[in-house]
Amino acid sequence: MRVLIVVAALTAAGTGRAAPPDPQELADRIDRHLAARWAAAGVQPAPAADDAEFLRRACLDLTGRIPSVRDVHDFLADPDPGKRAKLIDDLLDSPRYADHFARVWRALLLPEAAASAEARVFQPGFEAWLRQRLRANIGYDRLVRELLTVPITADPDAPQPVLLRPEQPNPLAFFAVKEAKPENLAAASTRLFLGIQIECAQCHDHPFARWTRGQFWSQAAFFAGIERHGGNLFAPVSEAPGRAVLLPTTKKPVPPAFLGAGPSAAPVGPNPRAALAEWMTAADNPFFARAAVNRAWGQLFGVGIVEPVDDFTDDNKPSHPELLDELARAFAAADFDLKYLYRALGRTKAYQRSSARTHPSQDDPRAFARMAVKGLSAEQFFDSLVQATGHRERGDGRGRSPARDPFLAQFAPQGRPSEPETSVAQALTLMNGRFVGDATGLDGCPTLTAVRETPGMTPGQRVEALYLAALGRPPTDRESERMLRHAAAPRAAEGLADIFWVLLNSAEFRLNH
Amino acid sequence: MTRTRHPLSRRDWLGLSAAGLAGSLSGWLPLLAADAARAPARRRSCILLWMQGGPSQTDTFDPKPGHPNGGPFRAIETAAPGVRVGEHLPRLAQRMKNLAVVRSMSTKEGDHGRATQHVRSGNLPQGPIEFPTFGSLVAHERARPEDDLPGYVSISPRGLGPAALTAGFLGPSFAPVVVGGDGEGEGELRVQDLGLPAGVSAERARARLDQLRESEAEFLASRPGTGTRSHSAAYDRADRLMRPSAARAFGLAEEKSELRDRYGRNRFGQGCLLARRLVERGVPFVEVTLGGWDTHDNNFAQVKNLCDVLDPAWSALLDDLGERGLLDSTVVAWMGEFGRTPGINPCNGRDHYPAAWSAVLGGGGIRGGQAFGRTGADGKTVEDRPVSVPDLLATVCLALGIDPMKQNMSNVGRPIRVVDPGAKPLTEVLA
Repeated sequence: MRVLIVVAALTAAGTGRAAPPDPQELADRIDRHLAARWAAAGVQPAPAADDAEFLRRACLDLTGRIPSVRDVHDFLADPDPGKRAKLIDDLLDSPRYADHFARVWRALLLPEAAASAEARVFQPGFEAWLRQRLRANIGYDRLVRELLTVPITADPDAPQPVLLRPEQPNPLAFFAVKEAKPENLAAASTRLFLGIQIECAQCHDHPFARWTRGQFWSQAAFFAGIERHGGNLFAPVSEAPGRAVLLPTTKKPVPPAFLGAGPSAAPVGPNPRAALAEWMTAADNPFFARAAVNRAWGQLFGVGIVEPVDDFTDDNKPSHPELLDELARAFAAADFDLKYLYRALGRTKAYQRSSARTHPSQDDPRAFARMAVKGLSAEQFFDSLVQATGHRERGDGRGRSPARDPFLAQFAPQGRPSEPETSVAQALTLMNGRFVGDATGLDGCPTLTAVRETPGMTPGQRVEALYLAALGRPPTDRESERMLRHAAAPRAAEGLADIFWVLLNSAEFRLNH
Repeated sequence: MTRTRHPLSRRDWLGLSAAGLAGSLSGWLPLLAADAARAPARRRSCILLWMQGGPSQTDTFDPKPGHPNGGPFRAIETAAPGVRVGEHLPRLAQRMKNLAVVRSMSTKEGDHGRATQHVRSGNLPQGPIEFPTFGSLVAHERARPEDDLPGYVSISPRGLGPAALTAGFLGPSFAPVVVGGDGEGEGELRVQDLGLPAGVSAERARARLDQLRESEAEFLASRPGTGTRSHSAAYDRADRLMRPSAARAFGLAEEKSELRDRYGRNRFGQGCLLARRLVERGVPFVEVTLGGWDTHDNNFAQVKNLCDVLDPAWSALLDDLGERGLLDSTVVAWMGEFGRTPGINPCNGRDHYPAAWSAVLGGGGIRGGQAFGRTGADGKTVEDRPVSVPDLLATVCLALGIDPMKQNMSNVGRPIRVVDPGAKPLTEVLA
């Protein structure tokens, strides 16, 4: 029933809009929704994060790395009461926003690249395409439409190459890596863009789920014309419009049909992929905007309003259904402007709360009463290490990064994003491995060298500089005292290096909090 | 997920029979499994000998003498009457009483990556579900947080990608500690980054680790949850692993030179010896990889060379485990991601072949001295008792004393069983 209400509301919101929407207004509405629930449940929310905690979090979430020492200095010294909103605007306008979210979306759309070396070949070109589109800040609806409707030749005699130069922007990578199979493309696009895991219905009707096998194959039918000419991921493709997909058991053709729409729905027309993309990304699609805002919410808050973020089912209900509907409505009304959405979410009091627990009532992660402690992607973690240490990566001349690549493989997150785990092997690498070892060794890294050798600094200032570089905050008096004791003679030479080692190995560095 | 708390009783059986389920494996498997998991004698360790690339069954454990597909190798008699193996496994032939050959493995994946994932996790890649590899599943069932040694050690997993070694939705606490991985040189088998970096004394390392604990105590206390808990647990375990007493487990130099010779002075042989040291110290799952089985050309010379490494190492492992009273508490499994074509290609090689291949189980919990299942005269098809990957893994689970039907919560919010519920364990192979 809710779906119908949303549809009506979305349709209403989509018409007659004049001024660009105000993200602060949406942020305030979000906070009111959360506060109403806390009042009812007796929750005492955590206090606001201090500027340093907020700065580090916003930089990691929106640009994929910790702030530089200069960023920290500037932000902490800025007396402007509106500086947090301004910071969010600045981060969203920086090139790193597109760099970061290109990686985020690549990981979602091409998860195969993590496991398969062949699929990894497509990664640079796909990220380049995403980066380009995100830099242009096209609407999220358009991004999805462009992806789903990538032109594919109809000529089977001169099929379309899926890869020319690996680094060239290439949305076709999505099709290639899904092996150009209709069922894979249907499963991925339905889950990613509509939040519906229909692939469970691929083989049989699930006894409790809403979706049937027929519906699964009628989604696959939108991609039925795509054909791969060869047996590997790099084989060229063509698309014969009008080809049908056959139900594997009965071998009967299954016509394409929109999810949740009855058999009387409008005909699909000559270009099924375009029809699917139009239907999916329409402002009144009952799933699209809700799935998108829920995913963005999950990225910033660690846990979705529906969690897992891509599993909308009747028995996996949203924690705040009205809030989810309102976000979806606002996002569609703002022409699916992702920056507007991140602006609004980032401006909420909820996003700007401390992650430190001050009351037991904050323990339910789905109350959003304190900020979640999130894991870092391998890229976020490595780029933050680079930022902290001043490490300069020297390529090996063949486009590979000798420090970065093994790091990315070893620190790829597993399991649930809001429950980040560290393995023994990862701990050993951070304690004894080469990267941190070099950064805190005899020759040190640029950061350590500067901190050690800049004349005229007191020992306390040197310790403070290391804290700013690694943790984005000055040490407390007690921390400073303790560290100075450690750095005192006879360890003076090693002392600063050891302090830096401690900071880089700390949970506070390893986590987004 | 609730199940009975008592060993399988007669009444359970009668009840199942009355319901018509006793004959259906999928019906009684959960009870049998729960029963097995509770029996203390069945808390076994597992050593997996992983044959990267897909070993030729025809030239090892399912010879076809007299058929053109058989190739040039002879078949030799073994200690198990009626079970013959390829001529380059003479030592294993003598120990066949401890081994059960499963000759009827039948799978569908012929791509290295996907087949590796299938055999090692029991599942094909499926959308967003991050399936754990089998070693992680065993570690998850068996490892205790207070153990100094990890629950899963992977030795020389060269050429195995991250997907083959992932703990998936179980989380990195159950990921393998890798010995002699890609980053290590050809010398001694070492745990990556277990040793202190040059120029850092043990005293200094201790001091800075103490400093780390002290400095982050407040942060950890203020942010209770998985992230902080897992971080400090990993550092604690890494610290314990670095202690001389634990690090010694990896020290092959303590072994007698004569024993090291018996295993073979090569990476795989020494890896098998290390596996014995580790299960001896209670590590629940150890795997040793032997690569090079992707013999598209020059198959026979390559297989002979590989057998010359495999045969002494595996035999020495069985003997050594037996001499130390560990053979009954250790399941030793041998497999690759698929087999190889019975037909010989123009390059004198054999290509990928998932339709009919062999795996071998041995040691504790396994009824050795038999061949299970059968392929046809040309080796191309399974003619008796086809075995799927879940069937095989469920069998190993039962031998280890693990309930294959136990459910773990996955990253997609759905519980997923250790082994697919369609699995039919090979009861004839279980002791």
